[in-house]
Amino acid sequence: MRSDETQSAQRLRVVIVGGGTAGWMMAAGLSRLLPADQYDLTLIESDEIGTVGVGEATLPHIKQFNDRLGIDEVAFMRATGATIKLGIEFVGWNQPTDRYIHPFGAFGEPWVGVDFQHHWARARLAGLDVGSLQDYCYAIALCRAHAFELPSADPGSIRSSYSYAYHFDAGLYAGFLRDWAVPRGVRRIEGRIINIHRDGETGHVSHLTLKSGECVEGDFFVDCSGFRSLLVGGTLDVPWCDWRDWLPCDRALAVPSDRVEPLTPFTRATARQAGWTWRIPLQHRTGNGYVFSSRYCGEDEAHDTLMAALDGPAQAEPRLLRFAAGRRARAWEGNCLAVGLASGFLEPLESTSIFLIQAALFDLLELMPRLGGIDPRLSAEFNRLFEIHYDRVRDFLVLHYMANSRHGQPLWDHVRAMPLPDSLMHKLELFREGAAAPDYKLGLFSRDSWLSVFEGQGVMPDGYARLADRLPLPDLEKRLSALRARIREGVAGVPGHADFIKHHGAASETTAQGRAA
Amino acid sequence: MTPPVHHLVIAGRDAPLWLVAATMARALAPSGLRVTAVELPSRVTPADLHASLPALEALHNQLRLDERRLLSMVGGAYTLGWNFTDTGGAVPPFLHPFGAFGSPIAGQDFFPHWLRARRQGLALPLEDFSLTAVAARQGRLFIPDSESERYGRSDYGYHLPALAYAGVLKDLARQAGVAILSTGSLSPLRDAQTGLITALSLEGGGRVEGDFFLDVTGPDALLIGGPGNGMERWGFPATRVLTARGPRLVSLPPYAEVRGFADGWLSLRPAQAGTFITAVWKAGPGEADLLRRLPSLCGCVPQEAIVRSSSPGLRARAWDGNCVALGAAAVRLDPLHDLDLLSVQQGLVHLLTHFPRTGRFAAARAEYNRLTRGHFTHLRDFQALHYHLARHPGSFWDAARAMPLSGDLFHRIALFRARGDLAPWEEDDLPADSWRAFMEGHGLLPDSHSPGIDLLPPDDLKAHLRAMLGFVKAQVQRQPAHDAYLRGG
Repeated sequence: MRSDETQSAQRLRVVIVGGGTAGWMMAAGLSRLLPADQYDLTLIESDEIGTVGVGEATLPHIKQFNDRLGIDEVAFMRATGATIKLGIEFVGWNQPTDRYIHPFGAFGEPWVGVDFQHHWARARLAGLDVGSLQDYCYAIALCRAHAFELPSADPGSIRSSYSYAYHFDAGLYAGFLRDWAVPRGVRRIEGRIINIHRDGETGHVSHLTLKSGECVEGDFFVDCSGFRSLLVGGTLDVPWCDWRDWLPCDRALAVPSDRVEPLTPFTRATARQAGWTWRIPLQHRTGNGYVFSSRYCGEDEAHDTLMAALDGPAQAEPRLLRFAAGRRARAWEGNCLAVGLASGFLEPLESTSIFLIQAALFDLLELMPRLGGIDPRLSAEFNRLFEIHYDRVRDFLVLHYMANSRHGQPLWDHVRAMPLPDSLMHKLELFREGAAAPDYKLGLFSRDSWLSVFEGQGVMPDGYARLADRLPLPDLEKRLSALRARIREGVAGVPGHADFIKHHGAASETTAQGRAA
Repeated sequence: MTPPVHHLVIAGRDAPLWLVAATMARALAPSGLRVTAVELPSRVTPADLHASLPALEALHNQLRLDERRLLSMVGGAYTLGWNFTDTGGAVPPFLHPFGAFGSPIAGQDFFPHWLRARRQGLALPLEDFSLTAVAARQGRLFIPDSESERYGRSDYGYHLPALAYAGVLKDLARQAGVAILSTGSLSPLRDAQTGLITALSLEGGGRVEGDFFLDVTGPDALLIGGPGNGMERWGFPATRVLTARGPRLVSLPPYAEVRGFADGWLSLRPAQAGTFITAVWKAGPGEADLLRRLPSLCGCVPQEAIVRSSSPGLRARAWDGNCVALGAAAVRLDPLHDLDLLSVQQGLVHLLTHFPRTGRFAAARAEYNRLTRGHFTHLRDFQALHYHLARHPGSFWDAARAMPLSGDLFHRIALFRARGDLAPWEEDDLPADSWRAFMEGHGLLPDSHSPGIDLLPPDDLKAHLRAMLGFVKAQVQRQPAHDAYLRGG
């Protein structure tokens, strides 16, 4: 047996700068998925600095994160006041009275080897009364019924055609992960960083000085310092790619309100004059916020819009956040890796913030430096994947804005007319021409996600894949109506979302009250 | 304004023409598409062979082509992979199997675990963990079942004598309703204003009109080629390709043998109809001498030899106007990995997905060109990897090693060298284990593996590896000999 000292000398020292969701997700993930005899993990956070508490709504990938860490779902839901999320309801994004759901579930199923949307588009173009694509998704039917149960394990059943995510209190989640990670070997230092020192030769960050005078040395730094991007944006001065031309919203006002019934198993995003408001139901409260563009709306007006939108009494005064859409040119520079808000920001419209942290964790695990120096071949790959993740999410977000019919509202007139990324133009044209939708191997979003937003925003196909014609039209009509019936019948008898929570991860009365206070 | 596409005219020759015609007709006849094939004189000889990769089985299934019947009709054989050797014995041999290496451990890829074991002293190559490779070494086939599928993928390709295979496919095309015309030569007629092809003018004054056209005329590219849509040349070291046939081996190895020698390489592909030989080199003053040495390099006397030129490259736009090129009219690949039919198949898959209903197809065309360019340049990269890493001595190989690499490939090699990871690509048609087989086979061992792999206790890793070797041995012993299986035993 080696002594503790030699073990420590042979370990790569990883220093995570900043607590919050990003810091503690990275700390928890690295402590569970890296060998403890090779890595020494330290996290520095300051009680003086608040956390942004990135989004309270997630994507289904969060379940993979929790599962890989071995986190018990019920314990996690109880500790974070979590509810179930089956998708996002978009209200007023095309015409002011429209609503549609972007579900975490499939639209229909492939027939004769051809994706469902082609059959739907064909029937529609043939003049059949087939309704909306929304009518062919089981997850959407669950949303409308405010119902939920765990997906069926039988892949042939319509009740297996969805996945789910959570709404949770991100502050409580960070605390939950801290309580999980610290006993597993993450050293937590409370303190404020006042100086960042670089090696004169390599330019790498060598150590940090804290206000207390303590000096923290490291071989590899994970910058989870939020918008300030202390190391990667600050010390190393990695350039910023500004996406405000495509995503002009740059402010958010956030406020919690009392929980109301029914407990919706989805997030709601409602388009407003100068942006949109979110509504995120938790067990103990409802999270609300107004994301807006300061070019088109003052803070007072935003305040009034937000407060008027609440469906329960406000629990506090709204809090203002400032941001800009974009990302760093590189997330990994030298021996520093920016994660979360330190690496980029995309508005929470599609709940991608926590997903992007998780993607960074899993990419890093593959490419993690080992003792003996930082290998630029590994950081090159990380940065390549980082670009793919951010750029693909960006295109999807822009789609929600550019395809709107909110004429006469300056923000919406602007985003309808703005020049688009070529990559997005191409996707729009492909869908309009032949109902083809993106189907990536890497990154977000899936084909079903694109389909929901295309249709929801009024982007409709004028054609479809000719291979779909192999199904005779009368057969198609029968199959479509049978599918609608299967969905209707499947949803009947599924317990309500609130009932599900009561038996699966409900926070106890006292803790919920304590949190709400 | 946008006229419907009712009539598809496909011009070409030999197996690629019939594969395309039969597939298009079968898939799109229900959509009201009429298909006419215009057949040019054959250019294949009895010494030509199509060697296929595992993907072809799926296309054959769509065409309801039974593989055992097909191999018996054409005098073909199965192939489980490629065995690479050096004629001078200067470089250790390796076998690239069409099946996977090993079985996942604790839900993680086998490969990084193998890397770790190697670093800890394991001396066994990847191929010892492949059902397919071990079967191939023993002259057996590997027919997958549910138990072996749980362990890992066990795929195979075919050796298909080209003349006979074309005949079988032509019958299939006819049965699928394809109208067939023959001509000695043809040229496209274009609308003066739009530049779109309106008809093909045939030898003797005949003419066939169509709404949409496919160019399967090979390197001639009679429809798609022209000013402004030329080939981007790729710098591969070989410029000459000889095909020939030798006598049938008494016992047919279930794989191809690829031998590197100082001036190039040659491959021997066994089939019931003979041993099919390809030899490849760079044109130059030593050619006559090389041809004299060929029998000793092959270990047999090559008959029916024919020499063609090789100039790999990519058509600027595989879909141009109302014409799509498939096969060598769109992309010319180096002969090394038998990727020709795969490139036809990739083109077909994307064409079927995006085949236009009317003349409004600008987005489909852009998408098709984007996708096929991605697929084909990555096939090119796969081939360049071999030339770049191969360790055979000789000036041909010195030039090969100096080949310029694409940015994608350069990065993929660098990352593999650093970590053993394959940088994922959106368009990538060869399994990860194919890339790993070449990297390992050519002696490239990564500097590190992903640290999470070390969480598995070393004794557990040893136990997993031992269990795999035992499973492979037991499974392979149950498999039929290649010869017996071909005889129907």
